[in-house]
Amino acid sequence: MNFQDAINKILHSTGFATIEPGQGLMIVISLVLLYLAIWKKFEPLLLLPIGFGCLLANLPLSLMANTDEGGLFNFFYYGVKHQILPPLIFLGVGALTDFGPLLANPSTLLLGAAAQIGVYTTLIGAVALGFSLQEASAIGIIGGADGPTSIFLAAKLAPHLLAPIAIAAYSYMSLVPLIQPPIMRLLTTEKERQVKMEQLKPISQTVKIIFPIASTVIIVLMLPGVAPLIGMLMLGNLFRECGVTARLHETSQTHLINIVTILLALAVGSSMTAATFLTWSTIKIIILGLAAFCVATAGGVLFGKLMYVISKGKVNPLIGSAGVSAVPMAARVSQKVGQETDKSNFLLMHAMGPNVAGVIGSAVAAGVFLSLFGSGDAGAGHTAIEALKTITASLGQ
Amino acid sequence: MPPLLEAIQISFLAMIVIFLVLGILIGVIKVLVHFLPYVEEPAPPVRTQSPVAATGAFQEEDHIAAIHAALAHHLGKAPQDIHIQHITSL
Repeated sequence: MNFQDAINKILHSTGFATIEPGQGLMIVISLVLLYLAIWKKFEPLLLLPIGFGCLLANLPLSLMANTDEGGLFNFFYYGVKHQILPPLIFLGVGALTDFGPLLANPSTLLLGAAAQIGVYTTLIGAVALGFSLQEASAIGIIGGADGPTSIFLAAKLAPHLLAPIAIAAYSYMSLVPLIQPPIMRLLTTEKERQVKMEQLKPISQTVKIIFPIASTVIIVLMLPGVAPLIGMLMLGNLFRECGVTARLHETSQTHLINIVTILLALAVGSSMTAATFLTWSTIKIIILGLAAFCVATAGGVLFGKLMYVISKGKVNPLIGSAGVSAVPMAARVSQKVGQETDKSNFLLMHAMGPNVAGVIGSAVAAGVFLSLFGSGDAGAGHTAIEALKTITASLGQ
Repeated sequence: MPPLLEAIQISFLAMIVIFLVLGILIGVIKVLVHFLPYVEEPAPPVRTQSPVAATGAFQEEDHIAAIHAALAHHLGKAPQDIHIQHITSL
């Protein structure tokens, strides 16, 4: 080998020689994500590792894409593919969540249910745009405004769409303070926004301990497919409330959730390769995701208006927008918009009820999808779902 | 069945399932809160002084010290020149 051959060989072994235009564009997209995370502070805990994972995955010859056998992120991706990481995030979320406001005003659970309308209108929209029912379900769950649930469902029903779904879910979650207020102001009157809600009554510690156990039994019996999410959410909450597992509670809400967030975000970022991300589907998903958020917010607020009428003016409809999950940002938005009308109105604790109801609601929505379209490993054989399928079939005839 | 129609039917029925599940949870919470109401924890016992202690030596000494200092300041004398031996409440 002469000197010229050696130079050529070294040059051809670098990434510069093999980089493709798609990879170049994905590197630019990863830099945009890093910019949004670092300088605009859009969900930095997630968008930063997602952006960096994307950057590494698209550097040629790095073997850092999720599909590169033997690569580091290929191993991380096992945690997504086998639904290990999203439930562990839910464990941390449960440890961080106080169900007190929800237990004090249980009717706010209905607001968490109403906000799921965004999931289903998006499902219909996605089918209209040519996605299959499985893909449309995974896209629709973006409207639940719950990142781990979106990743969990996408990994099961449409793994090839995981990257755009995760990016859309987390991007729009970070934009909740921009997306929600105009819709909330548009759908409510000043009189409704001024409603001051009664102080929440205190809840006994025994109820707080029994609730996660009872709700796990009920939800998992009805929708077994969602057991990993609901089970971990409620276990984390039980760590918090039982008072005898302080160390587990502390670990779940700090170190564990932080470690799992790093692994999950890098795994998602590594799935953002040019082949999977630079498609028309991604653009459609980004548009559908925005629609899902808007409709979910509107659904929550409109149901809040209904509760305002039924309660004869005791419920402020602004708390309905918090039903989209996105804890606690959506509740903070309710508080902020409420104080724009009346500075002495404090809605935060009232909005936390529908906010945590939204977490349960989006997990339940995911459970319904898994029961209908899952691989049959959980839930498909359940009597209620079989009945639902029968009704669907009979309606279609 | 056309996919769009199927999607509409699934959406409608799924919303019913969500409201059903969360409705059951509301019922469970209401039952729990009804049968296990919040009971305010008894306030920690306040250490009250007995009537004897209230008029006892410690409190009286404090009063004497305070009056002592005020009188000395008012009369322009050194505190050691004034001797208060006993106070009586009116």
